Amino acid sequence: MAILEIENLSAFYGKAQALDGVSFSVEEGEIVGVIGANGAGKSTLLDSIMGMTQTTGAIRLAGADLAGKTTAEIVKMGVGYAPERANLFPYMSVRDNLLVGAYTARDDIERNLEMVHDLFPRLKERSTQETGTQSGGERQMVSVGRALMTSPKLLMVDEPTIGLAPKVCLEIAEVLRRLNKDYGATIIITEQNVNFALTLAERLLVMETGRIRMSGTVEELRENPALTEAYFGH
Amino acid sequence: MLQIIIQGLLLSGLYALIAVGFTLIFSVGRVLNLAYGAYLMLGGYAFFYVSQTLGMPKLLGVVAAVAVGVIAGLMKHRFIVKPLKGDMVPVEIATLILAVVLQSAVVLMFGDSSKILHSIIPGVVQVGTVSVPYSNVFAMIVSWTVLIALYLFIRKTHLGRAMQAVSMDQKGAAISGVNPDHVNMMVWGISGGLGALGGVFFASYTQLYPAMWVAPLIIAVAVVIVGGIGSIIGTLIVAHIIGFMEVMTTSLIAPELRGVFTMALIIIVLVVSPKGLFGREEIH
Ligand SMILES: Nc1ncnc2c1ncn2[C@@H]1O[C@H](COP(=O)(O)OP(=O)(O)OP(=O)(O)O)[C@@H](O)[C@H]1O
Ligand SMILES: [Mg+2]
Repeated sequence: MAILEIENLSAFYGKAQALDGVSFSVEEGEIVGVIGANGAGKSTLLDSIMGMTQTTGAIRLAGADLAGKTTAEIVKMGVGYAPERANLFPYMSVRDNLLVGAYTARDDIERNLEMVHDLFPRLKERSTQETGTQSGGERQMVSVGRALMTSPKLLMVDEPTIGLAPKVCLEIAEVLRRLNKDYGATIIITEQNVNFALTLAERLLVMETGRIRMSGTVEELRENPALTEAYFGH
Repeated sequence: MLQIIIQGLLLSGLYALIAVGFTLIFSVGRVLNLAYGAYLMLGGYAFFYVSQTLGMPKLLGVVAAVAVGVIAGLMKHRFIVKPLKGDMVPVEIATLILAVVLQSAVVLMFGDSSKILHSIIPGVVQVGTVSVPYSNVFAMIVSWTVLIALYLFIRKTHLGRAMQAVSMDQKGAAISGVNPDHVNMMVWGISGGLGALGGVFFASYTQLYPAMWVAPLIIAVAVVIVGGIGSIIGTLIVAHIIGFMEVMTTSLIAPELRGVFTMALIIIVLVVSPKGLFGREEIH
């Protein structure tokens, strides 16, 4: 069953249009990669799913319409989000950051904390450190961890590799892969780093100026000459 | 000497209570609530009306005062802050005007003259050579209890952590499932209740009069500026610095100079360390 269905979604910042008639769906257990250059609209797409922009069109989560819902309600319905800038709480400890994520999923705290610590052992060691003093990679881990604390049906991760060393990128890729394989998570991940997206996603959406330019499996897209040139860097 | 210590402690506890409600709104709602003193006035008069005009039990008067403060805070959020979407300057102007309007309403209902509140608990306790009214001891104990409870609430509960979260990153809070609007509303209510409670004690210390919202506002601003907005511990420490400074000035130099050093301290700290001594804006 499709966890997420998006139909003809457009998004606006005031008069400026940032998404234009985007349609796609995400099946349970999938990892979908959204790739596109700066300003293509990747973050806007994810923000729109969270109800944080002005939109037209339809967004459904497991069949339920998200129109008119507040961000908090959408989180409660099952969308976990690790945004581009992480938006952590800098003067709170790692543990408290994670606990805020559990605000709407209080019954699952123990199980979710165990999962987060299993995926990111570092966060367990650093549980009392304020996130404002952490490294970029550690912050990214807290951000994904906090999203997992909401008990999401769908996890959305916006450019997790931005500004991180290749080794840390690999670590994060490994965790997302494990989340998908071991915990059955459904994941949308946006990336400019196409190689990173390729190692993870089964299916890719290619965005350009607010539209989906192409979509398909990694193999299908590899055969497309225009795309190969623009994104796979031959 | 003993006199100064005792009076300093009593006054400082009260100042901390008054300042913390003001801090809370600034750090979570990001509004410098210049009408904060109006809660104290409302609380004082609500207490006066229930316990002295109606002659009901004093404790009921305190409860009524807090209720009036909470309602005033919630209404201010609903009808001023929310429609203006937290746009600072218009909110501040509107709230300041509201305070003046409320003052006129109080004059209309209760008259211009100042009133003496009956002690919440009559009698005095003798500490060495100093006699301390039970009411003031009660005020200090309640203030400390409220502050400690608030500190634990903010640190240890889901709702309290949500308040911290909203004060640090609204978007981060929202994507964690916290509705910043709800948290803001709650904080306005809590702040109103704290202010009104502080007002009952403040009016018992001094007297009840329609312009009584100005002096505590200055104290709250001073504590917050010197302590660094948002820090409960900082608020507590600075409330004691200011409280003791005032008591020492009053008893050792001259009562007229009471507020002068407080103002001087505000200016010095603003110049030397604009973020306050414990500096940051988020609650913790
Ligand atoms: N808050 C905003 N107000 C106005 N315009 C915005 C806002 N956020 C994004 N935009 C615009 O919307 C368009 C899409 O931006 P978006 O951030 O979604 O791109 P992106 O694909 O995430 O880019 P990047 O890879 O740089 O993160 C851009 O033209 C951007 O300038
Ligand atoms: Mg982006």
